[in-house]
Amino acid sequence: MSLQISQITHQFGSTKAVDSVSLDVKSGEQVALIGPSGCGKTTLLRIMGTQLLPSAGDISLIGRSPTTLSAREIKQLRTRIAMIPQHLGLVSNISVLRNVLNGGLGKINLLQTARQLIHPTRDEITRVYELLKRTGISEKIYDRTDSLSGGQQQRVAVARALYQQPSILLADEPVSSIDPARARDTIQMLTQLSKEEGITLIVSLHNLELAREFFPRLIGLRYGSIAFDCSPEALSNDDCQALFKMDSQDLVQHD
Amino acid sequence: MTKLPSKPLIKGHGRKWIVLALLVLFFGCRYILGPMPPSPPGSEEGFLGAALHPTLTDQSQSLPDDAMPFAARILKEMGTTLRYAFIAMSMAVPAGLLLGFLASSKWWPAMIGDVSAGNKAARYLLRPIQISVRLLTTLMRSIHELIWAILFLAALGHEPITACVALALPFTGTLAKVFSEIIDEQSVLARDHLIASGAGPLQAFLTSLIPQSFPDIATYTVYRFECALRSSAVLGFIGIETIGLSITRSFENHFYNELWTELYLLLAVILLVDALGAMLRKRLNRIPKRIVMPESNGSTGENIKQLKRTAPRNMMARVLMWSSVVLVIISWFPSIINVSTEPLVKASSSNTMQLSKSDRLSHFLTKMTPAPVRESGAWDDAIPWANELWRENGKTAVINTIAMATAAIIISAFAAWLLLPWASRALASAKPLGLFGGKDNPFRNIIWRSVGLLTRFLFVISRAIPEYIYAYLLIGLLGVSAWPLVLALALHNFGILGRLWGEVIENQPAEAPRQLLHTGSGRLQCYFSSFVPISFNRFLMYLFYRWETCVREATVLGMLGFASLGLHIQLSRNFSRAYDEMIFYVLLGSAVIFIGDLLSLYLRRGLAKA
Repeated sequence: MSLQISQITHQFGSTKAVDSVSLDVKSGEQVALIGPSGCGKTTLLRIMGTQLLPSAGDISLIGRSPTTLSAREIKQLRTRIAMIPQHLGLVSNISVLRNVLNGGLGKINLLQTARQLIHPTRDEITRVYELLKRTGISEKIYDRTDSLSGGQQQRVAVARALYQQPSILLADEPVSSIDPARARDTIQMLTQLSKEEGITLIVSLHNLELAREFFPRLIGLRYGSIAFDCSPEALSNDDCQALFKMDSQDLVQHD
Repeated sequence: MTKLPSKPLIKGHGRKWIVLALLVLFFGCRYILGPMPPSPPGSEEGFLGAALHPTLTDQSQSLPDDAMPFAARILKEMGTTLRYAFIAMSMAVPAGLLLGFLASSKWWPAMIGDVSAGNKAARYLLRPIQISVRLLTTLMRSIHELIWAILFLAALGHEPITACVALALPFTGTLAKVFSEIIDEQSVLARDHLIASGAGPLQAFLTSLIPQSFPDIATYTVYRFECALRSSAVLGFIGIETIGLSITRSFENHFYNELWTELYLLLAVILLVDALGAMLRKRLNRIPKRIVMPESNGSTGENIKQLKRTAPRNMMARVLMWSSVVLVIISWFPSIINVSTEPLVKASSSNTMQLSKSDRLSHFLTKMTPAPVRESGAWDDAIPWANELWRENGKTAVINTIAMATAAIIISAFAAWLLLPWASRALASAKPLGLFGGKDNPFRNIIWRSVGLLTRFLFVISRAIPEYIYAYLLIGLLGVSAWPLVLALALHNFGILGRLWGEVIENQPAEAPRQLLHTGSGRLQCYFSSFVPISFNRFLMYLFYRWETCVREATVLGMLGFASLGLHIQLSRNFSRAYDEMIFYVLLGSAVIFIGDLLSLYLRRGLAKA
């Protein structure tokens, strides 16, 4: 089992962003988290990425429970979980090469980091090059990251995640800021790479069409709880409409 | 650049009251400092006229035959000015980086969400280190480089290296403060992401925040080098052989043609560094794009090599960095290029008449102990002694020093405020803010363009010359009173405020002023009813920041002869060698600066929040 969550809740002040969610994800599984904005997708992903601790409930990632780990152990666990945040978290004024290399920091010590900053080895460069080739932007390896387009920068973030050699890959709204044609490419790339590498993939999405097309398992979230958890075939139109209906009701309530 | 607030932060009549309060404050200072006495007759005869006739030969008729010719002499002194600035910066930059790093908390074991990274207990150890480093750097900054120099020269003997160290100390303090502020301003998104993927806090700091802050750190260092050049020139006034020494000699002998040559030379070098800094900033902020895309047909290794070779590079930053490394090495060891210069450290055996270094130091240390304590040995006796000094001179000196700084910054603020629209690239143009302004008229284009250029040039020139040199010349021309010093401070800061405020209005979103122009308002109406209200808080923040540096400078300018802290420092050093009294005034000065620092910080924080 790659990821086990039982009855977790996360509260920001008095609002429950995640409300008693239970979820098991098997190794190598590909899951799409769908739902309107503010439904708790990002919070859930951040809990899965050990960036937040749940206020209540148990979580087990690759057989380890982050709440019980020491600083050293949590660092080791984090190297095995890769996250692609919505803001990508890239350093804009360094080369693509260095941004991808940053994915491997958890596995080297401070001295080796200093060495890598001054002089990356040929092996390291070749590995980065091969990963960039798989994400389709190998010719950009020595270009400054902020000279790339938004879609290309996203591919840098994907390559950086893969450089981590993770067991779990989490992506938060990876297609929210790119045009529909590229969005499809990105999702296809993510699912294909995770299949080839046997990485567990969990992606949060707005776009129901893409989720249905590429993911064998869909989890709908509303108000921080699970609305449905099924395959795209089993997903009824009513379920989908409920998800969007909630959205419009929500707007009325806020007025 | 930080995003500017889009609405005015001080509302209602607040701005009017502040402008009025500044005016009232100015007249208060005018009352404290007294009127300006009539200038001594004949003092400025030929001074301004000589500006048009700089000379390259000696004006003195009574030089020995083997004396170095004038042109060679001032070139050598300019070289020395540069050399000491390089040496001082080569100490201040590494030390500033280290202390700036220690003053920042961005590399500490951090909390990411709820989950810590690294050992949290370390924070309790790091906090006291951070606080003591901040105190140390504040202390270093609160004593002016010239006073450090006077202290060091008195304690350790008259050697160039001592002067360089004195220069490096306050510079280290300022660099450390600004470097840590630059680091703290960076976005932590990338750093937090790296920590979430398993990197240690230090590793994440090194690979994200350091590269992110590099452009700002590099451009600020160039600006500080420019300041170091000015300070190095001023060291000439206390006998170190930089260009300032020739300036004093030429002025004292009324060799005004020589004097102007020296001023032009200093001005040219500083303007050059200023231009280099502006170019560097432009380059670092421009995203380099790939121009050549090599054909990929070879092996992977070959492709990577090709890509690396053709990658877009920032050549200017590299060239500047390597050439400064070379220049620093030459400055330390000029013998490697066969240039004979004054040795940085003088051999102690060369002059048996002189006291040995340790004797000098212990002599200095004894003499700097308050006189009554020296006799009785009890530190209790120092309190009445200090009280006496405070009542006798200290109090007036502190008030005068602060009044000088305040009057100066208010003059320069009003001057810069009124000249700003003519310097603005947006407004001083035939097509303000790029809007269509009627039929094209080449004559109008040229007029507007030259108005903009000339006003900006005025700002550049006035900030290029150090306050101390202005003050020295103005005292000589206008006679001894507070006003030449106030004018000197005002002239220099007028240029700096003009530049800082100019940047503020250039970064301001142009929608509101453009709307005004569209509805038919003129340039000045647009400036006063759109640019000024929106940027007012930023203007005030910079005003307080410069006021704080004015207080620092005013302490030193007093050395030229007006009853303020600097004068008493100078008097106790020169006439009585009363180092105890000198230290008292130095500490008094640094206390004033320390309080000014805190006050300015408090006001600026408040403005940023308001």
